[in-house]
Amino acid sequence: MTNSHGVSLSPRAWCKPTMLLLFLFSFLMADAQKKISGKITDVDNKEPVFGASVQVKGTAKGAMTDDKGAFTIDAAKGSTLVISSMEYETVEVKVDEASSYNITLKRSVSGLNEVVVIGYGTVKRKDLTGAIASLKGADIKTEGVSNVGRALQGKLPGVTVESAGGDPGSGTRILIRGVGTFNNADPLYIVDGVQVANINNVAPADIESMDILKDASAAAIYGSRAANGVVLVTTKSGKPGKTVIQFNANLGFQKILKKYDVLNASEWATVSNAAHDAAGLPRLAIAANPSQLGKGTDWQDAIYRTAPIQQYYLGVSGGGETAKYSMSGQYTDQDGIVDVTGYKRYGVRVKSEATKGRLKIGETVLMTRERWIRMPAGWGGQGGNPVGSATKMIPVFNIYDSTALGGYSGASGPVVNVANPVAQLHLEDISYELTSILANAFAEVSILPNLKYKFNVGYTNSFGNTDDYQRRYVVGGLFAHSTNDLSQTKERTNLVLLENTLNYNKDFGKHSLQVLAGYAYQRLKYNYWLASKTNLPDGIKELDAASGAATVGGNSTESVLLSQLGRVIYSYDNRYLLTASFRRDGSSRFGKANRYGNFPSVAVGWNLSNEKFFHADPKVLSSLKIRGSYGVLGNQEIGDYQYSAAIASNINYVIGTAQQKWFGAIQTAFASPNIKWENTETINAGIDAGFLDGKLNMSADYFTKRTTDVLLEVPIPGSAGSSENPTVNAGILQNKGFELGINYGSKVGVLNYSVYGTFSSIKNKVIELGTGSQQIFGGQPTHHGASTTLTEAGGQVSAFYLIKAEGIFQSQDEVNAYKDKNGKVIQPNASAGDIKFLDANGDGSISNSDRVNCGSPFPKFEYGLGANLSAFNFDLNIFMQGTSGNKIYNGLRQDLEGMNLEFNYSRATLNAWTPTNHSNIPRAVINDPNFNTQSSSRFLESGSYFRLKTLQIGYTIPESLNNKFKITSMRAYISADNLFTITNYSGYNPDIGRSGSILDRGVDFGHVAYPLARVVSLGIQLSL
Amino acid sequence: MNKIFFAIATTVVMAGCSSKNLDLTNPNKITTETFWKNEADVQSAFAATYGLFKNVDGGYWGVRGVELSNGRGDDFFIRNDVSYLYQLSTFTNTPDNAAANNVFNISYRAIFRANQILENIDKVSGLDDTKKKQYIAEAKFLRGLNYYILAVNFGAVPLRTTVPVATADYFIPVSAEPEIWAQVIKDFTEAAVDLPLSYSATDLGRATKGAALGFLGKSYVYLKDWPNAETTLKQLTVAPFTYQLMSNYGDNFTVANDNNIESLFEIQLADVGGTNPWAGENANESLGVTTAQEFAPSEVSGWFEVSPTDKLFNEFQKEKTTTNELDPRMYATLMWDYPGATFYNKPFSDFSLQFGYQSMYKKYQNYTKDNELTGSNGGSYTSNINEKALRYADVLLLLSEAVTMQSRPADAYPYITMVRNRAQLPALTAGLDETLMMAEIRHQRMLEFAREGQRFYDLKRWGLLQQELTNSDKVGKQFYVVNKHDYFPIPQDEINSNSKAEQNSYWK
Repeated sequence: MTNSHGVSLSPRAWCKPTMLLLFLFSFLMADAQKKISGKITDVDNKEPVFGASVQVKGTAKGAMTDDKGAFTIDAAKGSTLVISSMEYETVEVKVDEASSYNITLKRSVSGLNEVVVIGYGTVKRKDLTGAIASLKGADIKTEGVSNVGRALQGKLPGVTVESAGGDPGSGTRILIRGVGTFNNADPLYIVDGVQVANINNVAPADIESMDILKDASAAAIYGSRAANGVVLVTTKSGKPGKTVIQFNANLGFQKILKKYDVLNASEWATVSNAAHDAAGLPRLAIAANPSQLGKGTDWQDAIYRTAPIQQYYLGVSGGGETAKYSMSGQYTDQDGIVDVTGYKRYGVRVKSEATKGRLKIGETVLMTRERWIRMPAGWGGQGGNPVGSATKMIPVFNIYDSTALGGYSGASGPVVNVANPVAQLHLEDISYELTSILANAFAEVSILPNLKYKFNVGYTNSFGNTDDYQRRYVVGGLFAHSTNDLSQTKERTNLVLLENTLNYNKDFGKHSLQVLAGYAYQRLKYNYWLASKTNLPDGIKELDAASGAATVGGNSTESVLLSQLGRVIYSYDNRYLLTASFRRDGSSRFGKANRYGNFPSVAVGWNLSNEKFFHADPKVLSSLKIRGSYGVLGNQEIGDYQYSAAIASNINYVIGTAQQKWFGAIQTAFASPNIKWENTETINAGIDAGFLDGKLNMSADYFTKRTTDVLLEVPIPGSAGSSENPTVNAGILQNKGFELGINYGSKVGVLNYSVYGTFSSIKNKVIELGTGSQQIFGGQPTHHGASTTLTEAGGQVSAFYLIKAEGIFQSQDEVNAYKDKNGKVIQPNASAGDIKFLDANGDGSISNSDRVNCGSPFPKFEYGLGANLSAFNFDLNIFMQGTSGNKIYNGLRQDLEGMNLEFNYSRATLNAWTPTNHSNIPRAVINDPNFNTQSSSRFLESGSYFRLKTLQIGYTIPESLNNKFKITSMRAYISADNLFTITNYSGYNPDIGRSGSILDRGVDFGHVAYPLARVVSLGIQLSL
Repeated sequence: MNKIFFAIATTVVMAGCSSKNLDLTNPNKITTETFWKNEADVQSAFAATYGLFKNVDGGYWGVRGVELSNGRGDDFFIRNDVSYLYQLSTFTNTPDNAAANNVFNISYRAIFRANQILENIDKVSGLDDTKKKQYIAEAKFLRGLNYYILAVNFGAVPLRTTVPVATADYFIPVSAEPEIWAQVIKDFTEAAVDLPLSYSATDLGRATKGAALGFLGKSYVYLKDWPNAETTLKQLTVAPFTYQLMSNYGDNFTVANDNNIESLFEIQLADVGGTNPWAGENANESLGVTTAQEFAPSEVSGWFEVSPTDKLFNEFQKEKTTTNELDPRMYATLMWDYPGATFYNKPFSDFSLQFGYQSMYKKYQNYTKDNELTGSNGGSYTSNINEKALRYADVLLLLSEAVTMQSRPADAYPYITMVRNRAQLPALTAGLDETLMMAEIRHQRMLEFAREGQRFYDLKRWGLLQQELTNSDKVGKQFYVVNKHDYFPIPQDEINSNSKAEQNSYWK
């Protein structure tokens, strides 16, 4: 078999499933049956129940009720019909002589019958033993402008969601139960059974449910890669009966939440002159005559704009007794709040399922194309990206210069080479286009009434294409580029997944048993190509037209995972629950001796409220369950081929009279031949309780996670001579946490309301690291700043570790009096107005050895609070979320309050210390002999915040009008995202979303940020 | 019947795809098991070791290395743009200084690679004994030169002469500075024995016997072992060696005169390979340096990161030529406002001096081009003038010093006169005593080697840093602390990751 991209699936890889299927078909047989019909209604309001499942017990035969609540099914006399529906309690009806049945269903009080997706199957919430948090499509629907990840923020206990910046089309960073690894801490994302890199391209309206597997017993069936938790996304399926057409549209505007308060031209010149005078160095020529400079250029105003965003969604779904379908298309067009930047997404999704006798076949196909227009990361200068440059660019300089090549002006003279951000945005075009295909197909056969075989093929292909076109320009005196250059990179990631599973379900007496056994093969391939050329004619953007030098490159990697898996779920009398699972994974990323990892888990549950001795009044305590689990999960998130020592090529030099290229190659880094799986052991204890007839529900979990053999790029001494740090198994990490979710729903007169809240608190600790005294420093805050975080045994992961600033020397006497025990002046270069630093080690001088622990980037707790209210035809949805106790290191403030570099400064510097103005901002001195600007606790701030994340008011047109307009329903709404944030953090956004290393967490690298936007939008949701 | 189904299904399902699927080899790179087979492997290993000298981040003759080796001299100013460079030049650097850390790390990378060659040469087939000895000598030269760089800049550092095998081998303590120098002397001595006098046109640029002897002699000078310095350096003045001074001093710093008769060892630079000087060690890396662009004035697309001090500008004017002109070395080294001065094909009036100093650096600049923007191959900011690591003029002045320091100033005349004659200076007053001869040598070294990374280290070994910084117009001179700033501290990253490494006591 060959797909359009030429990736062939070898017969061995297919594991001969096709033959098996053919073999099984020939044995499909049918019994003598009679036709039965019926109608199902709600016992309270007598309304027909649409979409209820009617199943002949012990067989694969089933039907669905239509919109009149009617069904027909073939069943033998004496068999039992099982009628179930999500919101109702399940009912069983014996088939007797009658051929027509009127059945009533009672609404389930607490959602305990709700189905939870657990990976390779589903269970009802009441039978659940693991820690799983779920979000239904309905909860996502009320989001205004969003992507899927953002819809999760604060809504599920134990799930941390951070924005990955305000960049249009940027995703989110999801952490489940803290940080258990130093490597990729992303959870495993599974969309309709197939692993994907992220879920940013899934339309929120396409989501039926999201189930987050948090503890080991829930995630164990995914074994490797599941150590960071699993996010299972199930997209919408069609429902038998009426065809439903859904149309959503949304139009919004985004505006920057907060700019940095920096100086105007004359203010800057005043501070700059003071700083040069203090150092005894000549003033800058451009700063002469501050009073005549006026305001100058407001560089931030020059790049920010109010940007529109529009999103459309059209879905069609429906089906009959034997087949159902759901199809949708989505379109998003988002301009960024930074000029030029933008994002577009188109997508289609098809999901269908057909049943014939014992055979069920279905598929999901999701195709999206995303296109980003990005801003340059920097021009080799020190301003950073346009956002960073806009704060640092000296306001004396102009934006445009019509006489310059390219048309822009910029910095010149002896100042730091910060690029004109407007020029950066307009002279370099960077686009990234990502085409993603996800295809999943399965065939399921009922071999026996209770035994099903399922064959599942998953395939994803993402094709990324980056074009970077740089025009020729001369921008001021510091930036020039003499040719038009084009660089194109193409990347392809391709995943093939093959799974064979057998599922056996049987109820006998009070016993209920689900057994799963399976085998899986997964192959991940990555290819990269680069081509670039210089000197293109103006206006031409194709490589063929270039006359200059060419560069090409390319590489590829491949990894394979082979897995065997099994699971038993047993319950007795709805009282005692047991889940045990086992997965064995073999990974190509490890050497032969260490390839296989075994990941067992066991979980137990006890539905106390189903015990005879349990006599609580359901009006007070309606349900109660306790759960406990233990399990081991794996992690192999390291690069490929690390166990072998490679020779790096193209480390070239020049040789000979002709001065030609001399090809070089050698081993540049050390291998890790003994590298093996990282293991995470989780113990979880949980309690689920329902009160007040199920109106109030709460779920609480306590867990400890212990990760051993942590895969870690251990920094080795530079004197060892390696260009990279080797990845080794080096350490033990521990996370302990508590999570709580509560919701309450009720009705007062015409007002329906529900409120919900989540709370989670996680604490991590490094138990062991590297060679014992291993210290890992990270978190570079500025272009040149020293590291700010330290990870070492006994401490927290990436704790802030800084020299302590202890206020300002008010006089030279204070400087001279600050001595160590031997009478040595500790800060000999200091003068009045400089910062006093703590000599923590008492050695009489200030150095890196004086750094002390100053707090953690991880919050003590996180919380979310939401409410949904509806009355008459109006609804109000409000959601708030926050963190408490975390610290943020403000790198941009370190730059802007420094007054030691020749660029613009923060407004706070106007209040710099002088003999007559004793303030808490040190004196302006351009050579900074006392290192006032060094990385220190001075720039560490509280990161706690409370944010009104979403406020939405909707109106649904009265049902009486629906017939008139021939629609099913219509709702219009106005929505605001990020309406306000209460925080003491002075940077753009306390939800900083720095991607990359976990060791940089909590370090706001404003140098290359993209600030967050406030979004106000209008939308409609129309069902036909 | 049902049992049969179950059995069949289970068998088919569980019969695995074989675990051979897990045997994947890296498609991008060969491994150490398949390398070190033939002479071509050895050759490419040498390219990878030599190439580090030009490394943009920390190669000693790359841009940051040049800024580091010159930046602390009383003749050199670095502007407050790249803060770690400004800090090192104003003696406000910390153990986090990126330039110093990179020079440290890059030197050890080269040592790791040279050690690999030494340990694997026996596995290579088809090498005759002479060839093998020559390669061993060449690897020792490279290791010795890197330890020389470490010794003069850091003093006591870890000493590695083997490739680490086990994890524990990564962590070793620092050895005292004399032990590092002992290794330098040993490596250069052994290298000098088996290195060839010269290479064929295709191999030109590799280490020669002369290069090894030159650096060996220079190392003896640093160790104040004057007799050994003299005997070693003297060999270079006679057959079979044919070194001579270029008749025109300025020709040493132009592309046209790469690998000339005055050069004992130089870093080979050309705008070949890739086009990006910051690409890292891969095919995209351009094989020149960005130094000329970073030093050039703004008017020709440079970043004017550095400037000569006026102390240097004035020192050049102390002695006129036989025709009462300024020293030709001044014209080759500096650019200032003199009648008819043109720079990058523009009159000097097109340029502005940014820092209040009276001159700019001309040496190693591509001043015959219109600007420093694009290299000949389209590589951005790439200069291909080879950096001279050791010139014959240095040998002559070191030799003058070695004899003078043995109280034989008269023996210095023939050597120092060659240097003076080339500069068209009048004959040196006869009968100078040891003190006066040393003063003359110091004066000549300051002029001869401006921007060649010698001044700070010369002052250090003469014990004159404090004095000469104080009487200069060097920015930051007030922050110089005797002893402490004579060396860079061991990089903080090394201290952090190597529990056995101890910081230099002046930096604790």
